[in-house]
Amino acid sequence: MLYGLPDVGLVGVIAASHMVSEFNLEEVAFVDTDMLPPMIVLHKGTPHTPIRIFGNNELLLAVSEIAIPADSIHRIIRSLVKWGKEKEARIMIPLGGIPAPNRQEITEPKVFAVASSPQLVEWLEGKAEWKGRRVDEPFNILQEGYMVGPYALVLQYCMQENIPAVAFLSQAFYNYPDPQAAAMALKALSKLMGIQIDVSQLLEKGEEIRLKARDIMKRTTKELAKMRKTQEYDIPLYV
Amino acid sequence: MASKKRRRSLLDLIDEYMRTIEEEIEERFEALHNLFFERPSWNARTRTIEPLCNVLVTPDEVVVTADLPYAKEDTVKVKLLGDDVLEISAEMKRKICLEDFGITHHEGEFSEFHCRVNIPVPVSAEAKRVSFKNGILEVRLPRKRGYEIKIE
Repeated sequence: MLYGLPDVGLVGVIAASHMVSEFNLEEVAFVDTDMLPPMIVLHKGTPHTPIRIFGNNELLLAVSEIAIPADSIHRIIRSLVKWGKEKEARIMIPLGGIPAPNRQEITEPKVFAVASSPQLVEWLEGKAEWKGRRVDEPFNILQEGYMVGPYALVLQYCMQENIPAVAFLSQAFYNYPDPQAAAMALKALSKLMGIQIDVSQLLEKGEEIRLKARDIMKRTTKELAKMRKTQEYDIPLYV
Repeated sequence: MASKKRRRSLLDLIDEYMRTIEEEIEERFEALHNLFFERPSWNARTRTIEPLCNVLVTPDEVVVTADLPYAKEDTVKVKLLGDDVLEISAEMKRKICLEDFGITHHEGEFSEFHCRVNIPVPVSAEAKRVSFKNGILEVRLPRKRGYEIKIE
């Protein structure tokens, strides 16, 4: 089960909407909650809830079209993870960004992986097999530091519920929509899962996406500030 | 032991009460702010779109950036209004209509980016450096230097 939730650079949301159109995923479920502003999204003249789950026989994908309010994020993420567990998702993969202060100088954003257990870390590093599978090329692992926001919670709840989870975080602009970072996160996903994902359309439409994503990016930045997102730049104390 | 426990819980209560008040103030302030300052990020009358922008203050400089997709590089303009407002504008490579986004209940056609950014600290504008790469504008303004205080 994949997650495309609003975070830095809207990496997850951009990657998720690309997945929906690229794989013709259909809406299979939606989040019904009192914890969001009273709001629906209209598409082709019909109403939809802002947080929905798309899927086919192979995969599920949770995507949000609004910035999730900081004070309801715990309960919403917990329900999404529990729902995925009920549906027997084999692995949870949040796609997102990691803010890079020098993003403007980076021509090809790097992708970092965060896993929910030591076994998965070894697998991603290419040191061990996981469920009979081995990665061809090791991933960069985020070794030390803080994670703040929706994906911190996805990883926490997956760890608690004993569900394997691997987050892919791509170097991104903090508060500008970053389609290139989304393409890099999708490349990492395709490498891990062995599925072909064509990102050329995503890169071609980069400018259009950046223009369309301005409003949700602005609101996401506000919510991230409430979650104290800049703590991700902090150095943890643990000797 | 018992009195100690009771005292702590009283402090806890006060703490909780203060936090509730704080949250309440924050919420009201945000609502008020939204009432006065929330507006569409586009303006059909002036045919402009407001870009996303950001201000970063470091000990040496103020870095203002703006995301300008579809901007024509040679039309990007940066102007300092007074001492503390930076005006950014740029023409777009093509006209954008609200209909392009599937919106048919508002009318609007846009051909330009426009925004004004407040500079929070004094800067020396004449020494500014401007770059435009991958549709992102970056303006670096050195902060004004004061005078040194001698340590006796």
